[in-house]
Parts: sequence; C-alpha cells; structure tokens
Amino acid sequence: MAALPAEAGAGSVAASKITIRGLSIDYVSEDGRARHRALEDLSLEVRENEFLSVVGPSGCGKSTLIAAIAGFLRPRSGSLLLDGKPIGGPGADRGVVFQEYALLPWRTVLDNVTLGLRLRGMPRSERDRIGRQFLEMINLVEAADKYPHQLSGGMKQRVAVARTLANQPEVMLMDEPFAAVDAQSRMTLQEELVRIWSQSRLTVLFVTHSVEEAVFLGDRVAVLTPGPGRLKAMIDIDIPRRQRRWAELGNNLLFATLRQRVLDLVRGAGTPP
Amino acid sequence: MSVGAGASFRSGAVGQVAFRRIERGVLGAAGVAGLVLLWQAAASLSGVPRYFFPSPRDVAGAFTVLLEKGILPAYLADSAGRYLAGIGLGTAIGLALGLALGVSRRAASMFGPLLNFFYAIVEVAWIPIFVIWWGYGLRTILVALVYVVAFPVLFNTQAAVRATPRVLIDAVRALGASPRQVLGEVIFPAALPGIITGFRVGAGFAFRGLIFAEMIAAKNGIGYLILTSAANHATDRTIAGMIVVGTVWLVIDQLYLRPFERVTVERWGVLRHAEE
Ligand SMILES: Nc1ncnc2c1ncn2[C@@H]1O[C@H](COP(=O)(O)OP(=O)(O)O)[C@@H](O)[C@H]1O
Ligand SMILES: [Mg+2]
Repeated sequence: MAALPAEAGAGSVAASKITIRGLSIDYVSEDGRARHRALEDLSLEVRENEFLSVVGPSGCGKSTLIAAIAGFLRPRSGSLLLDGKPIGGPGADRGVVFQEYALLPWRTVLDNVTLGLRLRGMPRSERDRIGRQFLEMINLVEAADKYPHQLSGGMKQRVAVARTLANQPEVMLMDEPFAAVDAQSRMTLQEELVRIWSQSRLTVLFVTHSVEEAVFLGDRVAVLTPGPGRLKAMIDIDIPRRQRRWAELGNNLLFATLRQRVLDLVRGAGTPP
Repeated sequence: MSVGAGASFRSGAVGQVAFRRIERGVLGAAGVAGLVLLWQAAASLSGVPRYFFPSPRDVAGAFTVLLEKGILPAYLADSAGRYLAGIGLGTAIGLALGLALGVSRRAASMFGPLLNFFYAIVEVAWIPIFVIWWGYGLRTILVALVYVVAFPVLFNTQAAVRATPRVLIDAVRALGASPRQVLGEVIFPAALPGIITGFRVGAGFAFRGLIFAEMIAAKNGIGYLILTSAANHATDRTIAGMIVVGTVWLVIDQLYLRPFERVTVERWGVLRHAEE
C-alpha cells in the first residue's frame, strides 16, 4: 500500500516471514475518551531468517510494534501477516524477549528456561535435558538451580533468551533486551546473539533505540519516525556475520559509515535513500 | 549487585533481631505477670462476692475443674471444628471470587458495588435471619464464619491479582500458555502474598465471629461456655473461657499465621523487587 521505495526494491529478494501493511495502533484510555496514536500507517517486511533491527527514538512505538506482532494488541487498521496468515493472538511461533527479562521469580533458572516446554506438557526429564542444552549455549549451566534474583542483569537476559529459544519459535521478537544491562555485558551479549542466531534458522526482529546496536546486529536496519511511528528508511547492512565482533568492527570503515547514516536518519538530518 | 548488598544487610541484622525477640518475650511475660498480680490484689482487697469478681486463683481452680471433667477439651474441639470448617470454606469462596474479579474487569464492575454493600453489613446483623432460616446450630455458625472470612480474602486476592506485572503475563502467553495456564503459572503465584494477607485478616475476623456466634447459636463450644457460665453465676468459668480464647488466638497467630505470612511475603517481595 504505502510502500516506500527502499522497501519496494528489497522486498522481493527473499520470502517474507512477517508482512505489515498500513498498520495503525491507538491506545485508548479506560473511559474510552482519550486516544493516543502510537503507530500510523506503518508498512514493513521481515524476511525469512533475517535479522532486522528496528531503531527509533523512545516513544516512537517500537514496543507497540513488538506487542502487535506478538499478538498482545489489536491493530486499529492495517494488516499483520505471519507466513501470509493474519496474526490473531499470541502464539508459541513468536517468542518475545523483554527489556525487563520477565522471568518468573518463583521458578529456578532451569524451570524458567523450560517453561514453554512444560506448558506443552513435555515430561520433566526430557525438558530438563533440553533446558540444560540451552543453558550450555548461554554458558549458564552452573546457574540451573538458582533463582532469577540471584543473577546479574546480563545473566537474566541470557536466561530469557534461552527460555525463548528452548521453546523453538520461528520468530524471535526482542524489545530493547540489552538496554538495562551494563556496557561490557551488553557487548558480550550482542556478540553471543549474533553467534546463536547464525547457527539457527530464526527470524529476528530486534528493537532498540541504540543506533550502534542496530547496525552491529542487523542484516537491515529499519528507521522509524518519532511517534506516531512510520517507516522512515530501510538500510542494508552489508557486513558479513563473521565480522560482527566488536574487536573487528571498532575500526571498520563500512560500519562507521553505516552507523553515521542511520544516526543522521534517526536525528532527522538525513534523507531516506 | 543490589541483591548482594541486600543479603549482607540481612545477615548482619540477624543477631540483633534474635536479641530483640528475647527482649520482647521477657517484657511481654512481665506485663502479663504484673496484670495477674494486680488482679489478685484487687480481688482480695475489694471483698466483693466471688461470682461478681473472681480472683485469678478462682479462675485457675475453675480451669482445672473444666479440664478434669473433660468439658474444656470437648468444647475446644467443637469450636476448633467449626472454626476450621468456616475458614476453609470461606477462604475457598473468597479466593475463587477474588481471582474472578481480579481477572475480569467486567465481573468487577458487575459485582463490585454489590459486594461492598454486603461487606458493610456485619455478620452480626445477619445472625437473626440466619437463625430463622437454619435455626440454632452448626449451619448458622458456619455461614456466619464463611461470611466474615470470604470478604478480606476476596478483596486482598482481587487487589493482588490486579497488581500482577503485565510483562510476566505477556511473557507466558508468548510461550504458548492458555488462559488457565496463565492463571496457574503467573497470576496465582504472583497474588499469593496478597492472598495470605487476606487469609490472616479473615482468620482473625472469624475467630472473633466464632465466639459471638457460639454465644447465640450453639449448645457447646467456648462461646457457649462463656455465656452459660455467666448466666449460672459461674463467673470464674466465664473468665477461664475468655482466657482460653485470647491464648488460643495468640498461639494461632504467633505460631502459624504470622510466620507463614512473613515467609511468603518476604520471599516473594525480595524476588519481585529484584525482578523489577
Ligand atoms: N499502555 C499505554 N497507554 C497509553 N499510551 C501508551 C501505552 N503504551 C505506550 N503508549 C504511548 O504510545 C507511544 C509509543 O509507545 P512505545 O511503543 O512504548 O514506544 P517505544 O517502545 O518506542 O519507546 C508513546 O507515546 C507512549 O507514551
Ligand atoms: Mg519501548
């Protein structure tokens, strides 16, 4: 519908996993009088097995976008498709990682990781075996029997990622997952995420207000306008996955150029390509 | 990091807490002893008839007789049975309604005003009607107890359910949880501290309500003992019954309810705090 030039050029390359067309979302106050438009006429495609970063200033509707795709919110208008089928509500095919970790405080780390498997009725021995594999992947095997409050922010977020992956979703939606984590852990987490995702067949939609993070992680970066959010630009990040390490990218010219370009777009100085 | 700091603060305070507890126990015992001495002196010096103002010694005598004849154990068992049945049933009803009203805004709008209306009418005001409907006996007492227990459990449960962090509910839904699984995995555990607080308040209301209801609608139990003994001028028995009531509550509250509440509320509180 309101397709932007950048999207029209790139959209046909690979199969579309998530298709968003003309999406508008309003928040309505409890008495029904006040309305606040969080997203307006947003169109966006997330391709199969891609890592799409979405960047925009805070309040532009990034969390709203995640909630809509996750099925927590109903659009006011427009369409939301997963594999061409309308999204009707939450489902295990779309995992979500929240900024607040959202681990269950009364469950151990292992039980948090295997939560989705338990909900499906998988027997304990089997789900614990799978859970431990995912704890191994995030280097937290020794924390299996701890409770979330005994972990640092970075560890909690790794557990939350493991919980989502153990549930084997097709899409992982991440809402500023590393924003509350200290700077060093954040860089480690970003590198780990690239590694984990390269080994999987996941489609990732990663929302952040950090331009650097968006460019470091994404195959493409979608820039949203300040609220109500629309798609302002789509930038391809042609940096191979194996180069996505901070030690290498620190003085990579292409990375610096792309980061500057996205930064200009977010700050309103640049024009869409 | 903040968790580590909190933990060390806690362990540092343990010695002090133990000392304060002993100090509090000693002071509490001294208070009781003082009152008993004062009472004995007043009863000995005043010279009024025993049935009008029995002394601690008289009361202790009555207590021994009640024990030896087996009256007190039997009546205690009667009261305990009613009490446990009443708080059990009342908690179950309050919990079910509280969960429903906490989860559904529509149900809360529909039944909220009605429940507040009934909450304002104390159970005492109902008892005359209950007696007309069910006579003097177990059923009337039970309904009165259920009535007083259910409200605090209901209101506390409802508030606690409302306060469940939205993000926890969303997280579990995104893992594929059904509405019932959301209730069991998130809402109920998150609301548990509030439910327990409501239960403790309700258990206290019910304990007072029990004695009152037994004075009106029973032919046995501690409340009956208190009323009939006074009517027969066995005032020492009445006071023995009152002391049993106060003591039993102290034991229930200190040994069961408070530690139970403290453990869950604190543990959940620490976890919740760390999670946010
Ligand atoms: N539950 C809500 N009720 C009303 N307004 C909301 C609610 N959640 C978000 N908003 C508003 O919608 C806009 C977009 O919010 P959000 O999606 O959280 O932005 P972002 O995640 O990009 O910071 C903001 O202006 C915010 O104030
Ligand atoms: Mg947000």
